[in-house]
Amino acid sequence: MTAVTAGASESTTTASVRGATGTGTTFTRWLGAATLVALGALAVLGLVVSPADVVQGESVRILYIHVGTVWVAYVAFIVTALSSAAYLWKRTTSLTWDRIAGASAEIGVVFMAVTLFAGALWGRLSWGAFWVWDARVTTTAFLFITYIGYLAVRDLGGSHRQRARRSAVVALLAVLEIPLVHFSVKLWRSVHQDASVGDRTSDVTLDGLMLFTLMLALGAFTLLYAWWLLHRQRVLAMRDALDDKGLDRALAERRTEGVQS
Amino acid sequence: MEDQGFILASYVAAFGAAALMAWRVARRGRELARQLPEEDKPWT
Repeated sequence: MTAVTAGASESTTTASVRGATGTGTTFTRWLGAATLVALGALAVLGLVVSPADVVQGESVRILYIHVGTVWVAYVAFIVTALSSAAYLWKRTTSLTWDRIAGASAEIGVVFMAVTLFAGALWGRLSWGAFWVWDARVTTTAFLFITYIGYLAVRDLGGSHRQRARRSAVVALLAVLEIPLVHFSVKLWRSVHQDASVGDRTSDVTLDGLMLFTLMLALGAFTLLYAWWLLHRQRVLAMRDALDDKGLDRALAERRTEGVQS
Repeated sequence: MEDQGFILASYVAAFGAAALMAWRVARRGRELARQLPEEDKPWT
């Protein structure tokens, strides 16, 4: 009897120690360390080492943040749409897809907010105004508001399945705005500059260190996104599990009341 | 001078938001993990 009690106690202690680690694993710790190194290198290269632009001067340094964060916001919203499609696809109706979609959208909204803020600062230095009703700027703001709406739809209530189904439909519609944002500079007259990298028709040549810093920004923010997504979807999984347990407990209490009366 | 302030503000916003959100998600994860048994945390 004593041995059994001791075993149970040891098991409880191990569980609580493991529980204290939260959502972290060895992989996420390595990923987090790599993210910190990449972000540190970005700060040094972006703020100090990389050269000023011949046209934009020092303000080009803001673009490492602006482009890096909007890239991740696009990726996050596309992952939201793909996960939502996976959830709706009959063979893969796992709520994990829904939680990945929700976590990714939350992260995308934060990155998009930073994009708009950094863009406003760059706009003040380059265009003389924090905000202009330009096609790219306006459609980006509209995309941002759309995904805030998506997050509001997720919080409307109902069962987890109801939440997953309705938000998946919204996500599949919302993602259609991304091509509109991306091609807005071609569809309408715009003061926002077109793509400088990866456009074969462009005559813009980028200094090697500037290009490296830009690619580092994309990589660093992508690592941050991956780290954050893993942790956040685990938090959402635990929140759902606690909801289920609360519901189970309430049903059990109601049944007990029914039996007693 | 105005350039430097704006440049720094953009980096502070990006890194500050990242740090704040990372801290929040880690703290929330620890809070919830304490309330759940191991079988509800398949990554552990």
